[in-house]
Amino acid sequence: MDSITTAASVVAAGLAVGLGAIGPGIGQGSAAQGAVEGIARQPEAEGKIRGTLLLSFAFMESLTIYGLVVALVLLFANPFAG
Amino acid sequence: MLVFPLLQPENDSSKEDQRELETLGESSQSTESNLNLGPVMEASIASSDEYVQLQQRIFRAALLVSALAVAITAFFFESQVAISLLIGALSGVLYLRLLARSIGQLGTSSKSVSKIQLVVPVVLVLAVSKLSQLELLPALLGFLLYKPSLIFQILLESRSRASS
Repeated sequence: MDSITTAASVVAAGLAVGLGAIGPGIGQGSAAQGAVEGIARQPEAEGKIRGTLLLSFAFMESLTIYGLVVALVLLFANPFAG
Repeated sequence: MLVFPLLQPENDSSKEDQRELETLGESSQSTESNLNLGPVMEASIASSDEYVQLQQRIFRAALLVSALAVAITAFFFESQVAISLLIGALSGVLYLRLLARSIGQLGTSSKSVSKIQLVVPVVLVLAVSKLSQLELLPALLGFLLYKPSLIFQILLESRSRASS
């Protein structure tokens, strides 16, 4: 693998994780805030709130995982490494 | 002289109002002290049980989907691909278990959702890239096999809400 491909792969891996984690991070923060407020106001609805939070977190965090997988593939199993 | 008798009853009424307010305050204090939090705690415990049951349903569905996918893959493809898919599916279930545990701890023992579950896909990709017996694409597809069970669970919940 030449140096330009290596440098581009490293930069792309950083961008994939960094940019891919911004949106889910903000979304997870606001979702967790709403869930904690909801549990504090209605403790009897704790199970439903936590269940909804689990489902929404699983879908939100998958976006981060996609970026993470792309970055790891670029770093450790690079298909452009001739 | 004329003003004083007119003011006198007003003073009396204000004193009565003050007494009423004092008695109301005493009664509200007594109700606060006798406030029974038992039903709220029971409802909260029942709600926690509901969350545990939801987790168990999701894990069962994820394991069922994973077993079906691995069986179909083993029938149509090589055993190496099926093993990679199986390892990915088990990693997905482990990831979901860690996520559920960190959400269960939110608000009780921790103030934020931990990110320890993100170690699972990192270790999976690293292991697949280092071990030549495993393949990357089946492992990643296997890792994402927990999603159909989640979608199925959401559809079930929305249907039960619509029927109720």
